[in-house]
Amino acid sequence: MIDRRLLENIDWFLIGLLLLNSLVGVLIIYSSSHYLPGKYYLRQLFWIAASLVALFLFLVVDYKILLTYSYYLYGALMLVLLFLLFTGNIVAGSKSWIRISSFQVQPSELSKVALILVLAQFFSAYKRSYVTSGAVLLSLGLTVLPFVLVASQPDLGTAMCFLPLLLGALILAGLRRKAVVLMIIFCLLTGVVGWNLALKDYQKKRLTTVVFPGKDPRGAGYHILQSKIAIGSGGLFGKGFKKGTQSQLRFLPARHTDFVFSVVGEEFGFIGVVAVLLLCYLFVSRIFRSAGKSRDRAGVYIIYLVGTIVAFQILVNVTMVIGLFPIVGIPLPLFSYGGSSLLANYLGISLVLNIKMRRFVNI
Amino acid sequence: MEKNKFYEDLSLILLRTQRTLLLTGCLFLLVLFFIWKIQILDHKKYWSLSEANRIRESVLTAPRGLILDRNGVILADNAASFKASIIRENCLDYNLSLQRIGRLLGIEEDVLKKRIARYESWPRFKPIVVKDNLDLREVTRIEARRLEFPELVVATDPRRFYPFSSLAAHVIGYLQELSPEEIKSEQYKGKNLGDLVGRTGVEWEYESLLVGVDGKAMDIVDSQGRVRGETGRVEPIPGQTINLSLDFDLQRKATELLEGREGAIIVLDPKKGEILALASYPTYDPNKFITRFTPEEWMGLVSRPDHPLENRAIRGLYAPGSVFKVTMALGGLDSGVITEQTAFFCAGTIQLYGRPFSCWFSGGHGVLNLTEAIHHSCNIYFYHTGRRMGIERIAEYAQELGFGSLTGVDLPGEKEGLVPTPEWSQRVRKASWYPGETISVSIGQGPLVVTPLQVSVHTALVANRGKKPIPHLLRFPVQSPGHNDGESDRGVARIKEETFEQVIRGMWKCVNEGGTGHAASLEGFDVCGKTGSTQLISREKSEKLRKEIKTHSWFTGFAPRDNPRVVVTVLVEYGGLGGATAAPMAKELFDLFRSKYD
Repeated sequence: MIDRRLLENIDWFLIGLLLLNSLVGVLIIYSSSHYLPGKYYLRQLFWIAASLVALFLFLVVDYKILLTYSYYLYGALMLVLLFLLFTGNIVAGSKSWIRISSFQVQPSELSKVALILVLAQFFSAYKRSYVTSGAVLLSLGLTVLPFVLVASQPDLGTAMCFLPLLLGALILAGLRRKAVVLMIIFCLLTGVVGWNLALKDYQKKRLTTVVFPGKDPRGAGYHILQSKIAIGSGGLFGKGFKKGTQSQLRFLPARHTDFVFSVVGEEFGFIGVVAVLLLCYLFVSRIFRSAGKSRDRAGVYIIYLVGTIVAFQILVNVTMVIGLFPIVGIPLPLFSYGGSSLLANYLGISLVLNIKMRRFVNI
Repeated sequence: MEKNKFYEDLSLILLRTQRTLLLTGCLFLLVLFFIWKIQILDHKKYWSLSEANRIRESVLTAPRGLILDRNGVILADNAASFKASIIRENCLDYNLSLQRIGRLLGIEEDVLKKRIARYESWPRFKPIVVKDNLDLREVTRIEARRLEFPELVVATDPRRFYPFSSLAAHVIGYLQELSPEEIKSEQYKGKNLGDLVGRTGVEWEYESLLVGVDGKAMDIVDSQGRVRGETGRVEPIPGQTINLSLDFDLQRKATELLEGREGAIIVLDPKKGEILALASYPTYDPNKFITRFTPEEWMGLVSRPDHPLENRAIRGLYAPGSVFKVTMALGGLDSGVITEQTAFFCAGTIQLYGRPFSCWFSGGHGVLNLTEAIHHSCNIYFYHTGRRMGIERIAEYAQELGFGSLTGVDLPGEKEGLVPTPEWSQRVRKASWYPGETISVSIGQGPLVVTPLQVSVHTALVANRGKKPIPHLLRFPVQSPGHNDGESDRGVARIKEETFEQVIRGMWKCVNEGGTGHAASLEGFDVCGKTGSTQLISREKSEKLRKEIKTHSWFTGFAPRDNPRVVVTVLVEYGGLGGATAAPMAKELFDLFRSKYD
């Protein structure tokens, strides 16, 4: 099925970037958790290997076929999410995990990939310059369903990642100014209603502490403050590998997962921060630039949406750890510890590679 | 990419993709700007915050300097004391925890809460003392339930301990915890909440010597407050040990003698001015101040009618009574209004300025000269002397001989007393001076008031034939030249030595030849002295009441006559006649001094 021509067109540079980012991530995870039981860096290495295998397996199937079956994939995952809500065990405060022997998978991460495919399939037939309100409503429905299911686990961070997919798809499809205004109104409304009805107290507290982190340094502001202290105390050159006091003495919360970037800031300083952000940007830009290599509209959509979700997560995570955004639990793609997120990112990149290598018609 | 029929026209969505990437790039730069602000511009601030997180300073309390008597007996010591502290962050349920700790240590929950609230601003995991001076039973009770109370820690600290509790309490003073207001004041800069400072006595006077410098340990702690290492340690410098001039045996004797009475005793070295004993009674236990009084105990102590906290030796104001006759005799001789041979007739009573003034011996002494007048403490003789001198001259001599001004003793809160003058009467009483008052002052009554220590210094001056010492307690380390061993005098009265000899002759007879002070006489130890019995109301009035009103009882004297080495002054409130109450007490002290130092 995979012939030489296809292999020649694989974007090895993108795979290289993918691996480089992941391995730098392992290094930081090691620094921030080597003194903890659980060997997180080894587990992450295992996940990288497994995800890489999955990435190549996924390449075998033409993305056209994947698109054809995308609705089934989407439907199946929605059922799993629904099922989880009723039967799932609570792990770390939410029902978002499926246990497979000693590893746990979050179906919510995989549903991101499913949503990307569904949206691409839906909009690939859309050839006008601007999107219609009917299409907006339908795509809105497609997005809101997983959003609600995941948000009620409750995992607001992962749920939020569905929103840029919708917005990205609509922007690509062409959004009229009127529609933008409508969406802003919609967001505000959900904001107000959500604040009063849906958000849990701890989530509200997190939002308020973004505005006033010093107000309650022992309470909800603690995480943000400790993260800012970690980054700020790193200075230009940082305190050195495994020498960050904020992280080694455990003042920094979730050091190997959501706050991995703060460890970079503390131990490698501004130099390290610039390097990591540069790696991230190269990665994102490589994804977006691949859009030109797509042979069809659906391919562009997929690449665009993969790029958008990766960029969104990076930006939200980084602004979160420097206290500009509420702590919503979005990891730094490829760097943060976490198998499901890693797998989802690898599968996304697999789609991009898939499209790039099948850029020529009728092979 | 070239457009042909195989490929769709994707140029529009590709343009949109490019724009999105551009926007993303801009956002990355924006984020980088914010990080630059935190890491580069505000680096110092966050660096010190991270250091504050990481390093916990704990105070290593410097032991206070010891206070010793002249022979090395420890009067103020340091003992290890156990204190229980709470670490707020280790409480599983803060309120429940307070409740249980309150029950364990027997503290009201509200009191506990208030105490902890004072330390609100302390860093995380810093232990807050909730109870100190735990007894061993409390320590074992806490240790036995260690697992149940992870938030409670027991530590030791050197704490002040007075082994003889109330002995010399007024000299040594006591320590008390600083109030939150005082911490903020300039005087107690650098002090922390919970620190104890000297409040009175030597503890206050020599605070700067005794206090020492607290050390500190700088521990590296993790976010759970567990110690991971030490970055630095500054050992505490103990306070300086000081030697007092007090003699433990004399002090104990003086205290025993006063037991059950209200009064003061001073034993003084007349040459050096060293105070060998200074007792005031009733007294108190300074140890109690450190263990934190309950409010009731404190109010009880402060409002007791016999004022146990008051140091009567330097703050009690009493009419000197007949003790003042020594002053009068010196003044009369020196000013020339009388000579040693001047004789007056005592008929037991005399009419002066239209009022009768009586002698204590209502039968009258007959004709007596100065020596006899001192010997028998005749009032009439000194009425005449006082009338001849006039109040201004009396005041002048009283002041020169040590009354009406501070003796300069190294204790806080000393009182000046009062030597009245017509000018004082106008200024303070807004009334003219009555000539009859001069007569009262002549025998140490009227508005004239002195402290027992002033009487003691006055006696030392007489014993030294004019050299006035500055009484002091500190022997080592020596502070100011004024407190030096050799030259502890403040000058010499301009009265001739011969005049002193004349008065001393009377004082010697007073004790050794059946005078009022004969109860103080000691075989082979030439005691010279003078008694006093201060009338509180006039004799006529007391006779009218048909009730014996007891007088304040004085004795002051020195020994031996020719080479005086010790001065003893005794005051007993409502003690009756000086010769009956105070003089025998003085004798015991003279005796003890002789047996110890001869």
